[in-house]
Amino acid sequence: MGRSNWLRGGALIAALAASSIAGPAIAAETLTMWVRASAANAAPHLVDLWNSGHADKIALTVIPDNQMVSKLATGVKAGEVPDVISFDLIYMPDFMRAGFLTDITDQMKADPNFAKVAPAFTNLATYKDRIYGTGFTPDVSILIYNKDLFRKAGLDPDKPPKTLDQIHEDAKKIRALGSDIYGFYFSGACPGCNIFTTSPMMVAAGAKILPRNGDEEPLDGPGVKQVLQLFRDMWTEGLIPKSAQADNGANFTANFKSGKVGIQGAGGFLISDLKKDAPNLDFGVAFLPGAKEGQASAFVGGDVVAIPKGSKHADIALQFIKWELTDEAQLEGLAKNNILPSRVDLADNKYFQSEPRFVTTAKAVGIGYVPWVFHFNDMVNSDSSPWIQMIEAAVFDGKVDESIAAAKAKMKDIASD
Amino acid sequence: MNPSRSGYVGLLYAAPALLFVAVFVLYPLAQLFVTSLTNSSLLGGGEFIGWRNYLRAYRDATFWQALVFTCKYTLIITPILMILGYGLALLTLSANRLGKLTRAVVFLPVVIGLGSSSFLWFWLFDEQVGLVNKLLQDVHLIAHPIVWFVDANLGLAAVIASIVWKVVGFGMILFIAALQAIDAEVNEAALIDGASYWRRILHIALPLTSRAILLTTLVSAIGSMLAFDQFYVMTAGGPESQTFTSLYWIYQNSFIYFKLGYGATLSVILMAIILSGSTLQLLLMRRGRGT
Repeated sequence: MGRSNWLRGGALIAALAASSIAGPAIAAETLTMWVRASAANAAPHLVDLWNSGHADKIALTVIPDNQMVSKLATGVKAGEVPDVISFDLIYMPDFMRAGFLTDITDQMKADPNFAKVAPAFTNLATYKDRIYGTGFTPDVSILIYNKDLFRKAGLDPDKPPKTLDQIHEDAKKIRALGSDIYGFYFSGACPGCNIFTTSPMMVAAGAKILPRNGDEEPLDGPGVKQVLQLFRDMWTEGLIPKSAQADNGANFTANFKSGKVGIQGAGGFLISDLKKDAPNLDFGVAFLPGAKEGQASAFVGGDVVAIPKGSKHADIALQFIKWELTDEAQLEGLAKNNILPSRVDLADNKYFQSEPRFVTTAKAVGIGYVPWVFHFNDMVNSDSSPWIQMIEAAVFDGKVDESIAAAKAKMKDIASD
Repeated sequence: MNPSRSGYVGLLYAAPALLFVAVFVLYPLAQLFVTSLTNSSLLGGGEFIGWRNYLRAYRDATFWQALVFTCKYTLIITPILMILGYGLALLTLSANRLGKLTRAVVFLPVVIGLGSSSFLWFWLFDEQVGLVNKLLQDVHLIAHPIVWFVDANLGLAAVIASIVWKVVGFGMILFIAALQAIDAEVNEAALIDGASYWRRILHIALPLTSRAILLTTLVSAIGSMLAFDQFYVMTAGGPESQTFTSLYWIYQNSFIYFKLGYGATLSVILMAIILSGSTLQLLLMRRGRGT
């Protein structure tokens, strides 16, 4: 063996020794993440972006919306939970109280980006002053109107209604355009659609909708009656299609897409849908108004992200949550793909410049509300909830005062359970 | 082999089936009953609360309203399915090509999932794009499109139409099997005696297929008492909660309101009601045959 070979051999031994002293290289991990089906279009953009820039990867599993609660509940009991989870934000209070989620208060408070997240998300993810999650893939309700019909009716297409009365007046003028053209639309038998699009008008007019407990007054404030009376008047005047009464959400957007509806409450998701499905429809978006000019609100929906208790990679999951609040994730993962950011300061971003309707929608996230309540399903989301019974009885049967009183009593009863 | 020894051997043969029933039927039933005595939540936790859930069910107006609606649905749809199924069986009894083709066409919807067929009919009854309104308008039965699901009775009619289309073929097949099992000589004898077609149906076919009719009625009635998918998809319990079925209300409580304990209580009550109804039906049939 020559001198050079001795040297090479010595170097190899030295390298092996050094590597054994340093220990084995840390293997990259693969995290499991559950996402509900409704967010399955948005979440992959963020996850793919994370996977492209990080050694630790995330594998997504889509869970049907109506199975998320039972799967997480049984998973927690069995000790088999995903490392990170994205779910309908409305379940946050129930999950926090049930002890399903990991407390991430200290890490979130130390993160400067967390302070910029829409207040609706932060409020909802806080239980007994501790934080258990943050915004992930938001959606928000807005008012949407058909500019072509506005023009034909002699209305200014750049002036959407800014009060409840203006909705009524504009709807009357649009209805006069023809027997199959309607001024306003809402899904009369859909509890979820109405908490999303009708309740913000009540909130904008100063109402408080749902009680946290049996001591709080539900449906409090004149805004509740004002909005129900407006809908009742529009219904009796024939400004709303008859089919609205039976619509359990299946036709939530179909009528507007057909170009025969002037005004309706909708979600931010409809902008992309309309551009794809009805490219020739000229439409505008605005905040959902209250009784007076300057009053506006929105219902913040979409998904939150959290770490289930028992997560095997909680530390990396936390890194992912902090990363998804960075400029990179919010802009390149969400805004670039026409998805709203959950950070308020990024509502007006470079990707939304070519589509100002996204900016309006993203700003609605900042002014929006989301009720912090247990039993949301009982009070609102179920097909027999006091919320939908109130709307049906008030709008279609004309029992405005009686329906509010009945819903108040039932909601108080549920909240005290 | 002495009788007691042969009894043990018989038990040994039946043991796998008994074990299966014990694990997959009796144990879950016992568990259901135990859960019904607790305030268990889908989110975890739960304490023994005795009969409180049963007391609550007694006062639950929506549950009893749903039960009445379910009974109404069962009482309407069961005779329709039986008469139509039997009629179709008689019409397609002959083994010619048309008969076989008709049987296949009528039976085809049975293999479609109930959820899928409900969606199909939901859109067929849609007031704007549905073909049902178009057909009724074209034949001048209606002047304007009907909004079917805005009225509980119209919604129920739409659901019944969808279910008849979906399951009538199942009864038809069972009835055909029963009719084919009738000894050909009995019919031949009746023919020689000059019995008309309807007389043979009334005095030969119906009595000799009564067991099949009873079985099919029982299966159909139990299935209707447990109706869920079709109402979940087509009416969502509306308008104003008037088309909730018992099972739909149990689902609401267990999985939407997270009240597993109360959902279990309602399930036990519904099971007891169906069991009593089925037993009564069997006893009445037995007594009818005895007289």
